[in-house]
Amino acid sequence: MATIVKSYEPTFWDKLYLPALMRGLIVTFRHFFRKNVTIQYPDQKHIPPEGYRGLHRLNKYPEGRIKCVACEMCSAACPADCIHIIPGPSPWDGGKERYPVRFDIDLLRCIFCGFCEMACPEEAIELTEIYDFSDYTRDDLVIDKEGLLEVYDLTKDQNYYTKKNLSKASSVNTSIDT
Amino acid sequence: MDLLGFTIILVKVLVVFAATMLGVLVMIYAERRVSAFMQDRVGPNRVGPKGVLQPIADGIKFLMKEDLVPEKVDKPIFILAPAILLIPALMTFAVIPFGSSINLFGREIALQVADVNVGVLYILALTSISVYGIVLAGWSSNNKYSLLGGLRSSAQLISYELAMGLAVVSIILLAGSLRLNDIITDQQGSFFSWNIFRQPLAFLIFLIAVYAETNRLPFDLSEAEQELVGGYHTEYSSMKFAMFFMAEYANMITAAALTVTLFFGGWDVPLLDEGSLGLFGTLLSVLSFLLKMAFFLFLFIWVRWTFPRFRYDQLMRLGWKVMLPLALFNIFLTAGYLTLKALG
Amino acid sequence: MPLLKIDGKEIEIKSGTTVLQAAEANGIEIPYYCYHPALEIVGSCRMCLVQVEGMPKLQVSCNTFVSDVSSDRKVDGKYDMVVHTQNDLVVQERKNILEFLLLNHPLDCSVCDQAGECYLQDYSFKFGNAHSRFDENKRVRPNEFLGSQIVINHNRCIMCSQCVRFTQEISGTSELFVEARGYNSKIAVLEDNPLDNLLAGNVADICPVGALLSTDYIHKNRIWNLKKQPSVCQDCSVGCNVDVFSQTDQILRLTARENLDVNGYFMCDIGRYGFHRYEEIDRVLQPMVRKGDSFVSADWETAIQKTIDLIKKNKSNTAGIVSPFHTNESNFLLGQIFKDVLGSLPPITGEEITYPSGFRISADRSPNTRGMNDICEGIVEDLASKIKTQDIRTLFILDDGVDRKLDDKWKKIIGKMDSVIVLSYAMTDLAKLAHVVLPGHAPLEREGTITNDKGRIQWLRPSLPVKVESKPDWEILMLVRNALDKKTEHFVELGEVMKKMGEKFENYAGITFFKVGNQGYSINGKSS
Repeated sequence: MATIVKSYEPTFWDKLYLPALMRGLIVTFRHFFRKNVTIQYPDQKHIPPEGYRGLHRLNKYPEGRIKCVACEMCSAACPADCIHIIPGPSPWDGGKERYPVRFDIDLLRCIFCGFCEMACPEEAIELTEIYDFSDYTRDDLVIDKEGLLEVYDLTKDQNYYTKKNLSKASSVNTSIDT
Repeated sequence: MDLLGFTIILVKVLVVFAATMLGVLVMIYAERRVSAFMQDRVGPNRVGPKGVLQPIADGIKFLMKEDLVPEKVDKPIFILAPAILLIPALMTFAVIPFGSSINLFGREIALQVADVNVGVLYILALTSISVYGIVLAGWSSNNKYSLLGGLRSSAQLISYELAMGLAVVSIILLAGSLRLNDIITDQQGSFFSWNIFRQPLAFLIFLIAVYAETNRLPFDLSEAEQELVGGYHTEYSSMKFAMFFMAEYANMITAAALTVTLFFGGWDVPLLDEGSLGLFGTLLSVLSFLLKMAFFLFLFIWVRWTFPRFRYDQLMRLGWKVMLPLALFNIFLTAGYLTLKALG
Repeated sequence: MPLLKIDGKEIEIKSGTTVLQAAEANGIEIPYYCYHPALEIVGSCRMCLVQVEGMPKLQVSCNTFVSDVSSDRKVDGKYDMVVHTQNDLVVQERKNILEFLLLNHPLDCSVCDQAGECYLQDYSFKFGNAHSRFDENKRVRPNEFLGSQIVINHNRCIMCSQCVRFTQEISGTSELFVEARGYNSKIAVLEDNPLDNLLAGNVADICPVGALLSTDYIHKNRIWNLKKQPSVCQDCSVGCNVDVFSQTDQILRLTARENLDVNGYFMCDIGRYGFHRYEEIDRVLQPMVRKGDSFVSADWETAIQKTIDLIKKNKSNTAGIVSPFHTNESNFLLGQIFKDVLGSLPPITGEEITYPSGFRISADRSPNTRGMNDICEGIVEDLASKIKTQDIRTLFILDDGVDRKLDDKWKKIIGKMDSVIVLSYAMTDLAKLAHVVLPGHAPLEREGTITNDKGRIQWLRPSLPVKVESKPDWEILMLVRNALDKKTEHFVELGEVMKKMGEKFENYAGITFFKVGNQGYSINGKSS
């Protein structure tokens, strides 16, 4: 049994459109006095929420050993094909016998989807909240293992953009370069 | 004409010209700030305090930019078009009285560049010329988007000029004169003697037509950037583009001034005889004129960020099937009323 | 012939085959670890359990043979055997077996080099449980070297004993054995008899998990990053079929490819690790022309022009030297250019080794001696004396490559020539004496056919991308040939050369890459 949907018959006032136009004008006028939402970026920095997907980092164990075992799950999962790993036998005794000799991420190719983070069986690669890491050359935007470990040191204890770090924030660009 | 008279005229011309250009600068700033506020943003706030010097920075940027003339354009017309658009926009202001007359140097000086006895006609004529600027710009650019923009603009202007003219006719019928001063005098007295209350339908038609005449949203089909890149000014850059920009704002200022003159008693302050207060009264009248104008300029921006653009066929339908019959009906009504009144 | 029914599919197969083979031949998958077609059946992994109607318990399909039964015992009056590989009982049993196998197997796939080609991974994913119920600690043992090239990770071992059987049956050296029993059992070697025979590398290949590892490949890369290209080993005249695994322009490993007519399932370590020879050599990547004592690089046009100028100067006193390291097509083209005098350098030989299983390493360490002799008519027996008697002044040499070490006698002979043109991929001893060096392709970059000592034509396929300005050898020879004689035909692709070759030599008639395929094509049936 078909349902008969009764369409709305516009009244005379509706057809005139003027009340609707007035209501529209009132909406925009109300916004005129609303508090604006802009964050004045270089001066103020947006503090990203938990789970924001920004610059990558490579985690370390408390004793300083890199967690990564160079299984290349991240590079296999990567849809942008931006992770390049050269594995090798680990120089540490005991435990995992493999570690990344080189670990490069091409940040210009990366789409920050977070698949690497999900694929990682060792919880070694993570995306941090850092979003301002622009640079001048393509080469500078390929971050290597040392850079990724340094990002870990910068972000392990607290949000990178909390007040304490803000003065340092402007220097991060160059310090994490290859 | 004596030397003093000539000087006075010259000063008036310069003042009006400078004021219009200043108005354009203010409008550029205002448009960006107001639109930002309406979208919960900040807008330009870096150049100067609160960003007030932004229009200057924009101007410098336009001056420094490369003035590109594409190879296949019709050069003389291409260069002339922005001027054809800008000059009428600035000239229109000449007949608009912006304050009550003052007594200086032993003579009465009207605050108006030229008191033309066919002022309304003069304005209608000049706004018609400005459409040439757009059409020529579109045509000479040798670009399909520009041409489409120009064509749309001309069709739109012809359609809406008709309705606008007819709406003004009812005002002229009431005032019995084409002189703008007479129209203002006609509206003096009580608050309700303003034409907005005597001719609300004419005001509505006129207001809508004015938006179409100035190519402002919701009628900016000639430069609809989503469809036509930049419309008639697609190929323009640097100062030539800036001239289109300035013309648009100059047109807006003129249109606002005209609306105020025709429907809101011009410089008239209700329930007050400006003449009896001397210089203070004149200043008051100028202030009143500027305030009313400011409201309409704000309305221009306000409307822009509220209503979406018309589709082309909707625009034409509204012009020919709604506005024109309504305006004719309004004239008929006004004429009938006047006839009945004359018959007693 | 017995008639089987496996999972409802009727199969008629020779008596004496196993149920596993019957199923595999008909596209029915039965998982297994300890079974290997070349090795004895032990049935120790229990992965291949199937249900056979009429038998009280599940049967290991690798050790259950098909045979005719008397008509009164036939199932449904016509089937000799009815097998189920997919019913609930079998599926549950597989899960249980896998859970047992994984009791002590570490979850270290992320560091394991077998990951990606590991049967334990594949079968766990396909047939296994998602969770283990084993709460106790896993058995942990340190890694050990079984031989100089083989490491064993005892934790990963599932005791399929394929490696033990390999050393007993294929290599016959019996280094490996299973030490102790049950929980304590492990693969071991005696201290004075390590796993160092020339077939040792195969145990890493056949190991279904990551327990046996070749030190050559350990922690080098992940298997899914590599490109796998079927090719032929070029380190002796047997011509073992191999898979070449490479990434961009680097070869990472070679593994044996199954070809029952040539090498069975295995290959020797000479060929397995042989590719390292090509890694650190002085590659020639541009045509080189001698200027005084040194070489300058030139473009192809000038190099070819220089070549034919040199040849034309002593047209009648020019000899071509073919090479058993090059393809039939290259040798054929060179033979066509220098019809008068054609020779080859002394053969490169080694020790001939034959294993109990019949696996052979040939004494002739060049891959294509048979093909060279077939294709080039009238190769001079004693090239040195021929040069003297015929007063040869110019030599065009197809270089054997890195394996050729020139002795003083030949250095002297070549040094006396007016001009020497060498087609080589490296700056070998020979190339250093040349006047023009034309850069060709290295062995695993070449394309063409070679013929092994048993007369089997096999397809060499390029495993690496072309390097810089080098050209395929046959193309260079064709350019020289066309430049010398404008009337000769111009070949666009290798197939045309093969066709031409077939016209000249009956044995090679009708040979195409399609006909040769992955398994090769024997010309032994024909008269030569």
